Amino acid sequence: MKKTRVLVGKIGLDGHDVGAKVVAAALRDAGMEVIYTGLRQTPHNIVNTAIQEDVDAIGISILSGSHIPLITKLVEVLKEEEAEDIKVIVGGVIPEEDIQHLLSIGTHKVFPSESEMNDIIECFQSLTRETSDNG
Amino acid sequence: MEENIVSRRKIWEENVLEPHLKEKPERRRRFKNDLGHEIDRLYTPEDLKKFDFNYLKDLGFPGEYPFTRGHSPNMYRSEPPILRVYSGFGTPQQSNQRFKRLVSLGAEEIQVAVDLPTQVGYDSDHLMSTGEVGKVGVAINSLHDMEELFKDIPLNQLKRVGMLGNSFGPIALAFFIALGEKQGLSTDEYRVDLQNDILKEYVARGTFIYPIEPSVKLTTDVVAYCIDHMPHWNPLSACVNHINGGGSGSSAGTAFALKNAQHYIDDLLNRGYQIDQIAPMISMFLDDRDDVFCEIANLRATRKVWAEIIRSKYGATNPDAMGLKITAYGHGRETLQEPLNNIVRIALGTLGYFFGGAHSLYNGSYDEAASTPTEESVKVAIRTQQIIYNELGLSHTIDPLGGSYYLENLTCNIEQDIKAWMSEVDDQGGPLSVIDNGFISKVMTEGAIRRQKEFNQKDRVSVGVNILKDPEYKNESKPFRVDPNVERKMIDSLNVVKNKRSQVKVTKCLEELKEAALSGENLVPTTLNAVREYATIGEITDVLKSVYGEYKQKPSF
Repeated sequence: MKKTRVLVGKIGLDGHDVGAKVVAAALRDAGMEVIYTGLRQTPHNIVNTAIQEDVDAIGISILSGSHIPLITKLVEVLKEEEAEDIKVIVGGVIPEEDIQHLLSIGTHKVFPSESEMNDIIECFQSLTRETSDNG
Repeated sequence: MEENIVSRRKIWEENVLEPHLKEKPERRRRFKNDLGHEIDRLYTPEDLKKFDFNYLKDLGFPGEYPFTRGHSPNMYRSEPPILRVYSGFGTPQQSNQRFKRLVSLGAEEIQVAVDLPTQVGYDSDHLMSTGEVGKVGVAINSLHDMEELFKDIPLNQLKRVGMLGNSFGPIALAFFIALGEKQGLSTDEYRVDLQNDILKEYVARGTFIYPIEPSVKLTTDVVAYCIDHMPHWNPLSACVNHINGGGSGSSAGTAFALKNAQHYIDDLLNRGYQIDQIAPMISMFLDDRDDVFCEIANLRATRKVWAEIIRSKYGATNPDAMGLKITAYGHGRETLQEPLNNIVRIALGTLGYFFGGAHSLYNGSYDEAASTPTEESVKVAIRTQQIIYNELGLSHTIDPLGGSYYLENLTCNIEQDIKAWMSEVDDQGGPLSVIDNGFISKVMTEGAIRRQKEFNQKDRVSVGVNILKDPEYKNESKPFRVDPNVERKMIDSLNVVKNKRSQVKVTKCLEELKEAALSGENLVPTTLNAVREYATIGEITDVLKSVYGEYKQKPSF
């Protein structure tokens, strides 16, 4: 079976990367191939890397409260690049009332702080595409 | 044989303890703290023998070497820890209202929380600022915003005032000097307290701008300028908080921060300053949010290690240089679920720093895991400190837990741990090497992963989250919302400022700043001139980027 390929990234200026790194390590330990972008990525950087690396899903961690504008832009860029089949998963400090909003604009799933790591792993695993649309 | 503690303990274990354990076995397989120490069931004077513990050598008296029991002779019997608040959101006008409220409740020091664009040198109209203006802190573009932020709050009515300013120390310092001028105050009349610790930003928090070496120079420019002109200000606080929060553990984090502090000290010695001038300018921001006893022991051990380094390695004679002033942020591991429980975690965490002898204290707000705190939750935070200081007999004597067999044992252990981690940093070539070679990041990531695994296995517990969940719990909290129009308001106000100021003067100041950066002189004077003419943070930062370049992080996990 094809290994799940995941891009874990930090978008915007937020420098708190513990959560992103812990999730990246947990996904790697669960057998996935993980690319970690590091800090201060723009939506365009993230989408370009995701397409180049042919990932199945993008995991974005945001703790700064800027999730709505940044994820809105990310989803827009994915559409522009005709790469909507790459699913976006958002984690971090996301208030309950913003989760619906993020889902409605095309986020696949939102994991607020204190989510179970096993649920996060299962979610990413479920997104493995058997064949690549880009390759 | 004469009976002593060892032989008597053995008898107690055989005759009293063992039969009891058969009936009531221990509730956990192991008792250990976040630092990996196994905790014994009982401590006696015997446990201190292995450290060659001696009252005068290890504890002494407060305000005297080795400062274990406190940085000042009479501690909280004379003065409570300075009650700090870290606050700011939205526009300067919106934050000004909050500041006034906090001061009316008893806040003694305001640390301005600025938004992320400000922290990394972008004005509100920069493309990278989109969506981030006024979030996590107040947006500041120029001196104009500082004037609005402190409108009707004279700086001399606060015990101290400051902002983190880790990557833009000279601008932060210049803002407060220029703001004092606007308020008609001389710098003798108020006191500024900056974090200005850039080295930890490369491993935690991430608000770096320039490569490491010029950034260190900006940090020490600020300290040097204060030694020369405002020796009563506090221009640098070496931070453990973010390193430990990132997973290092408090002892390793303390060692890394101490080595960072030594790096700044060495730089200032090379510039010709004396240790007795330099060391009093530096405080430390310590952290342990997992274990109240580790908090207390960490503060005591760190004061002792600091005093030893400053006296033995650097030859200081000034007590102000050897007596480390400690800042801390009182909290536990706050949870998003059942937020009111955080009031208890924060109170107990704050109490630990209080018992540890912090010089100034922030504490968390119960809803801070979800968003910028509401006014109501910040009020509870302020009241928490005031209750601890004024009620329940907690502040009557100095270092009240000193002499506890457990605490002294832990203090000795932590002192050894800190020194061992410091030696490790030395062996790897010093603080810049362990940033560059990824060692600190590795220690932090491994620790964060370990903590997550312990949490998954319930070896690390949060009541209401991974144990004792409330089946009827519903998240009904309303997170604090920043005004959605803040970005537009800030860009409008930035344009007004740019139209009103003298562009000729700004351009001239920025040229002089560039010359100063190229020549290597202290950048505070030229930055101050630019700030006085309402040059923006983005403009000043762009000039320095053109000279220094930008830092590129190597991502790893």
